[in-house]
Amino acid sequence: MSESQKTEAKRKSPLTSRRVRIGAFLAVMGPGIIAGLSDDDPAGITTYSVLGAKFGNQLLWTLLLSTIALILFQDLGARIGVVTRQGLIGLVRQKYGARSGSLSALALIVANIGTMTAEFAGIAAAGELFGISKYISVPLAALLVSFLVIRGSFARVEKVFFIISAVFLAYIVAGFLAHPHWSDAAKGMFIPTIPLTHDAIYLATATLGTTLAPWGLAFIQSYAVDKRLTRDDLTLLRVDVWTGSLLTGIIGFFVIVTCASTLHVDHISINDASNAAAALKPLAGALAKELFAVGLVGAALLAASILPLSTAYSISDLTGRPAALDDRLSEAPLFYGAFGFITLFSAVLILIPNASLITILVVTQVINAVLLLPLLIYMYGISKDKKLMGEYVPSSFMRGIYLLIIAIVSFCIIAMLWFSFH
Amino acid sequence: MKRPTPPQLNNINRVAKRLVGRHESVIGRKSVKDSLVSLSGLIGAPVKDQKGFTIGKLVDVVVRNGEETYPPVSGLIVKVGPRQSFINGARISQLTQREIILSSTKINLEEYTQRPGESLLDGDVLDHQIVDVDGLRVVRTSDLYLAPLDREIRVVGVDISFVSFMRRIFPMIFRKPNPSHVIDWSSVASLADSSGVVRTSSSRSMLSQLRPADLADLIEDLAGREQEALIQMLDPELAADALEEMEDEDLQGLLRGMPSDRAAQLLARMEPDESAEVLRDLSPEHRESIFSVMESKLASQLRKLVAFDETLAGGIMTTHMLLMREDDTVAQALDLLVSNRGRDVSDGVVIVDERGKLIDHIQVVELVASKPGAKLSTLIGPPFPTAVNVKASIKDVVEEFANNRGSSIIVIDEKGKPVGRILADDLVDTLASEQEYRGVSQGSGALS
Repeated sequence: MSESQKTEAKRKSPLTSRRVRIGAFLAVMGPGIIAGLSDDDPAGITTYSVLGAKFGNQLLWTLLLSTIALILFQDLGARIGVVTRQGLIGLVRQKYGARSGSLSALALIVANIGTMTAEFAGIAAAGELFGISKYISVPLAALLVSFLVIRGSFARVEKVFFIISAVFLAYIVAGFLAHPHWSDAAKGMFIPTIPLTHDAIYLATATLGTTLAPWGLAFIQSYAVDKRLTRDDLTLLRVDVWTGSLLTGIIGFFVIVTCASTLHVDHISINDASNAAAALKPLAGALAKELFAVGLVGAALLAASILPLSTAYSISDLTGRPAALDDRLSEAPLFYGAFGFITLFSAVLILIPNASLITILVVTQVINAVLLLPLLIYMYGISKDKKLMGEYVPSSFMRGIYLLIIAIVSFCIIAMLWFSFH
Repeated sequence: MKRPTPPQLNNINRVAKRLVGRHESVIGRKSVKDSLVSLSGLIGAPVKDQKGFTIGKLVDVVVRNGEETYPPVSGLIVKVGPRQSFINGARISQLTQREIILSSTKINLEEYTQRPGESLLDGDVLDHQIVDVDGLRVVRTSDLYLAPLDREIRVVGVDISFVSFMRRIFPMIFRKPNPSHVIDWSSVASLADSSGVVRTSSSRSMLSQLRPADLADLIEDLAGREQEALIQMLDPELAADALEEMEDEDLQGLLRGMPSDRAAQLLARMEPDESAEVLRDLSPEHRESIFSVMESKLASQLRKLVAFDETLAGGIMTTHMLLMREDDTVAQALDLLVSNRGRDVSDGVVIVDERGKLIDHIQVVELVASKPGAKLSTLIGPPFPTAVNVKASIKDVVEEFANNRGSSIIVIDEKGKPVGRILADDLVDTLASEQEYRGVSQGSGALS
């Protein structure tokens, strides 16, 4: 057996190692691509679709801004992980104490339950496009995901999910086929204007929350720690992070442009998944629905398999004791508890009768944006700690940029709250 | 490579460890128990002079790490007005959960700079990872306890419970600290020290009683800086043994994260085959930078091992063996064996002729049964050892083992010179990981 086969064997079998290896689940893709995929999941696609359908190209600049923020903070997370070799939540507890540690963990858990709910909403929506009741599709998906993760066989199917979710690359082709007004798109991208309405602010916040998702931040850091990446690996990791983040922005751009030149032009608002799928008609014609549904399932299953694991990992990080998949239930109650709770709770939320899937998909992303704020602030605080970061402390210019992004996120949240109550 | 221990055995080990080599714990003493002060509750408490006038608020507590089991408080960091000042521990007249009273009213306000060997209890220890040696696990400290002991205020206990963690978040719900959760400081190893060198003799001796495999698990569970600190604390031989038990991926990461000279030191103490295995996984540049600071003889030996394909005999052999000539005596052979005990050579010596070619392998039993003055040549005879070529495949090695039922076989080069040995346990490791790979790739139920 060659060395590469052997390391592959080890990597692919989380049951043989004592600890949970998030990295083990990503033999195929880089972490940056995965974190990027968190934004091309059902919630991301839906949010971008609604944004494009409702406001055309006008709010494209919010995506540009979100993508820049994504690149910078993912990059920061990767650096913190590599330099401190500790997870985000554990680091927050260590630096800011028990309350801050718990607060950041709580923010992450709530955000992740929201995102997980959105993944199941994606499954439910896809099911409905095929005429399958959500009472069948969602429990099935929850069971499948738990089984794959706990049995450690996720590595074998991750490629399949990945390829399926790549269906959303179809938006790039669809975007060209829809003959968009490129000049209009460029204007929307670089000239920031926004109607001062609740809907506009709300969707701008959701775009921010779905692009710069909280779990992606914790995830990229855990990944670096878990894979034992060192400073030598930083350049490669950063290339991956930048690629993944840019890919996210590009797909997001084409989703918005496609929807702007189809749905928006035809004054179709998105009330269910079939409306959103209609944007793919220029490309897929009668098969648009099926194409959209397949993409939703792949992306949802991919994210749903990693999300609860990543969350449980962060919780173990809070207590300082990395948990293990082959620990028995009695040995790692917190880990299994968190894993089970997140999967079950979010699946149950979706099964509430008459819940509007599109609303759930967008609302969870708004919540993401709110919960993002404390995490960004802690990350900023950690980044400028000389004791932790040494020579990797960012320059005062970069610190200014981080603060600017934090200010923008805060502003979005305040504006949204203002419009919600007036 | 990992050798998992059956869980029952682990438990027996833990119990045994509790009984053997236990330091006398002070947390059980009534005088200590009654005067425990919780650190998390103390931070922010008023610091007063003798007349009850508040001088400032407590920010942190500085302790001196040294040879003592229970580190004494060397000073306080107090916020006086807008700035933080250091107050020498000798000035503390009374320290209770609610307040700290100083003996002298004259406060010499000096700026605090952390010295080597000192750690800040709130800044460096609370909420940081420590090793619970009794429980064989890595945890974060939820609280620390101070108490007067031997005329000084010292850290005597640590609380790692989740309840105490919750108490700090919701002080109004979980009001009282629960002493039953307090672990004696002598049974944990703290890894905090600004200088990165921890000299707590007690935790060092506690750790030295752990099995290398348990230590490997602990090292794997720690964050980067703490990993370094733990390895520094261990006796170098034990550290090397522990590293051998680590997962390849973890060990690789660990070595890549440390300076080349440190890595070289650790690798030098590991068994050559294990060192070669991990070196093979490092990048060529990194490997060379480690070789360049290594003792040249060892470096060239390891270079050779690394060059072997891992699917061949040379790739899994150890180069540890004791070569002797026919003219040497039994006494010399036994001396050599004794001076090399602990390494994987204890089962005998290898006899070579003047050109270095393999003649025989003589077992310890044969040596012990002979007269000390006898020449080794008198012991040469059947059964002759099994030998394989360095380029033999693993399959051939397995066949040789199966045919000859020995505990080791000798590896020779083209000229018939012995270059290493393959021990049965190395072969088991190799086969086990191959099995693992098959189990996973075919989805058979071997492991799941």
